[in-house]
Amino acid sequence: MTGTAVEVGDDELLLAVARGDQAAFAALYDSVGPLVHGVVRRVVRDPAQSEEVTQEVMVEVWRTAVRFDPDRGSARTWILTMAHRRAIDRVRSEQASRNRAQRVADQQHARDFDEVSERVELDFEHEQVRTALSTLTELQRQAVELAYYQGFTYREVAELLGTPLGTIKTRMRDGLIRLRDALGVTG
Amino acid sequence: MTERPDLHTLTGAFAVDALPEDEQERFEDHLAVCDACEQEVRELQATAARLGATSVAAPPPSLRGRVLAEIDGVRQERPAPIVVPDELAARRTAPRWVAATLGVAAAMLLLSVGGLVVVVTSLQEQVAGLEVAAGAAEQANADLASVSARLAELEQQASEATLVTTSALTDVLAAPDAITVSVTHDDVLGRVVASPTRGEAVFIAEGWDPAPHEHTYELWLITPDGAVPAGLFDPDERGRATRVMTGDMARATAVGITIEPEGGSPVPSDEPMMVLQLG
Repeated sequence: MTGTAVEVGDDELLLAVARGDQAAFAALYDSVGPLVHGVVRRVVRDPAQSEEVTQEVMVEVWRTAVRFDPDRGSARTWILTMAHRRAIDRVRSEQASRNRAQRVADQQHARDFDEVSERVELDFEHEQVRTALSTLTELQRQAVELAYYQGFTYREVAELLGTPLGTIKTRMRDGLIRLRDALGVTG
Repeated sequence: MTERPDLHTLTGAFAVDALPEDEQERFEDHLAVCDACEQEVRELQATAARLGATSVAAPPPSLRGRVLAEIDGVRQERPAPIVVPDELAARRTAPRWVAATLGVAAAMLLLSVGGLVVVVTSLQEQVAGLEVAAGAAEQANADLASVSARLAELEQQASEATLVTTSALTDVLAAPDAITVSVTHDDVLGRVVASPTRGEAVFIAEGWDPAPHEHTYELWLITPDGAVPAGLFDPDERGRATRVMTGDMARATAVGITIEPEGGSPVPSDEPMMVLQLG
């Protein structure tokens, strides 16, 4: 699986891309493309729209590669952060034209379904993350997953879970902090 | 941030993109001045990326060719300019998009050095700057004999360049309302000396690379109605240029610089690589 390429390699590729190296970009596409598309598919759902967003993200990687600073995080984090933001933007602009409240109500109904069943999994990565997620309280896990995988704002998450805004904000934060520590993420 | 203690708790929601747009912008402003939050956000974004990495989906094979074809026609961003306004400009609030283009480090730099930047208006200071350049040339040259010859040559060039610059500046500088705005990034300096009442301005470039083949740098007056061409410039072999700008400075709120095909363009063809806010 090309998506498992070591991060050092991706960092070096992205630095080369920042210098205008198109061959490095092609290699980076092969390395992180499946990860980018995975995040985008997960959030956007619609295959055609996901394809558009993945394309946008990869072109954005090319265009703004000079902003990447390896001292501030890995290339993979940089790219997946961008992919998630783009996917969220697409979902929110899409929803602006729909009845948002209705969708939230539908989601209320559907939220008990386990998201895990929809995942295409990277076994090792997923096992680690699943173990880490299991250390979270139920509210922490729901808050983080509804926001990250479904693209809800924290206000919507609070509404969905019938929990005060302040509580949701702090659960997202302490949930992620617990995940960070369980995964040994150093930033 | 004692007046907004709750801002610190938004790191998690920010890292998973769960803030509505207005709150996201406010939090980004906060991040620029709060090291603790900035560090935490970086770690939590890396954590969120791990959540993302559990989903892998091969993009359709046709996408690869489309992406590679598209980037072939997409110009890459250059390093974002670090905006260092002089004291006059520093008193005014930079517009939101300018703040947004600054990295956190740049914003911190702005805070720490903004008050120290001195408007260069005197011949003495320009000469001092050129002596620094001559010093750098000296370091670069291992041959001591040629260093002294080169230094003499540089000093000659320096005094000539200073005279040209100074005469071009005299009229504008003499105006009682003359303002100077400088932007530097990696030793690339752009400076505008402008007199709003006279409607005139001079642009000075130092440390600029040549424009790409068959391209030129173009100056723009940013007005409420859009960007107006204000002249072209091409740095000399020492990276310097002085250009009396065309157009009515009275309506300009900023000066922008883009790279354009030879001969210039009627409208900018890309985002400016440098912007000098006139306030």
